[in-house]
Amino acid sequence: MSEWVRVCAAEEIDEEDLIRFDHGGCSFAVYNTEKGFFATDGYCSHEAQHLEDGLVMGTVIECPLHQGRFEITTGKALSAPVCVDLQTYPIKLEDGDIFIRL
Amino acid sequence: MTGNIATNAASSGIVFDRKKLKALAKRSDRPGLIWLAQWVVLLTVTGWIVYLTLGSWWLLPAMMVYGTVLTVPAYALSHECAHGTAFRTRWLNEACLWLGSLIYFEEPHHRRYSHTRHHTYTWHVGKDSQMPFDTPMTFRGWLLETTGIALFSYEIRVFALNALGRFSDETRTFTPVSELPKLKWGARACLAVYALLTALVASGSVWPLYFILLPRLLGGPVMLLFTLIQHVELQENSPSILESTRSFRTGCIGRFLYMNMNNHVEHHLYPLVPFHGLPALSKAIADQLPEPDPGFFRTNWEVFQVVLHRSLGRSTKAPSLRQAPNMITAGGFDRLSKASMS
Repeated sequence: MSEWVRVCAAEEIDEEDLIRFDHGGCSFAVYNTEKGFFATDGYCSHEAQHLEDGLVMGTVIECPLHQGRFEITTGKALSAPVCVDLQTYPIKLEDGDIFIRL
Repeated sequence: MTGNIATNAASSGIVFDRKKLKALAKRSDRPGLIWLAQWVVLLTVTGWIVYLTLGSWWLLPAMMVYGTVLTVPAYALSHECAHGTAFRTRWLNEACLWLGSLIYFEEPHHRRYSHTRHHTYTWHVGKDSQMPFDTPMTFRGWLLETTGIALFSYEIRVFALNALGRFSDETRTFTPVSELPKLKWGARACLAVYALLTALVASGSVWPLYFILLPRLLGGPVMLLFTLIQHVELQENSPSILESTRSFRTGCIGRFLYMNMNNHVEHHLYPLVPFHGLPALSKAIADQLPEPDPGFFRTNWEVFQVVLHRSLGRSTKAPSLRQAPNMITAGGFDRLSKASMS
């Protein structure tokens, strides 16, 4: 059964940036983009590299190790070497805090 | 999946302010386009000199200069575009990846995927798919590497196997199954281009011979001297890029031809930083890095002396070249690793 879990205060994520969020043995990436806040799996689907040090460009996240790119809003793999989509997770803002549904 | 296994800044104990890193990693088409325009100008000037010297003994040195201007940047462009960092615009990256890889002599998809493994497991025996020579290097290994014999024999085999769809175990370890058809059709496309050039020469057209094929062969050793010193004589199987990888000083011509990849430690620490951000990155984290090795010529000269001494059973301690402790012996050596590109 899914639940809403608090991630952090919205102001803690810079614009066009992301943070890592670990919960229940899993790791997520939570983004602040020009289109709002989003969340995806934390690890790149190509190899075991966390996206937390990646580069956010608009609504695209680039993996810091091999530069594979994903569309943040959908998790879609955009360019090699990545070819498997990321799972996305619903996000909501409440009283200035970010919540992720897991 | 948890746990960071890759060889990078984190595994090397390097820290750098995230905001500054983001600023250096910012993508733009402008630096890449300027670099591309400068390359075209250099190729035109040196190519014109080749044209003027046709029929004279000056042709050979002219072609060596043109070949260096053709081949070293083609390798560097192929590498930068395999990372997707040369340009912000994706199709420009892909077009230049094809152009650079065709000249360098590697199928572009294979180039990209084999290079990802090189970054994940930099200089790790049995895991890094781009270890081009046995370690420690001997004089024979040096000859095979710098003449291009090792590279051509490896790539010809990869081209042939991939074009037939008979992928090696090595290729399958770093390529997602869904991408293998791209390697097959990419290899066929490259071979078609090479066949076309060969057919043109066979039919009496000399321009592919004078402006592509011979210059590529003559410029190859210079390119390979640049790539040789990235990791030679350094530590295998270390999580730290500082121990496995070498940066070296070089002049403005070398930096241009090699797209600043003389900052090779910095590149492996933060591969998301484009070529034009590497000099600033190098300055910013200089206090955490080993001193770059001396210039391109001196570094290569010392490598040459070391491998010669090793083959002659003499001391392999270099005067100033940075070496891993296990590379330095008073005479004699044990084979440490076999090339993955063989």
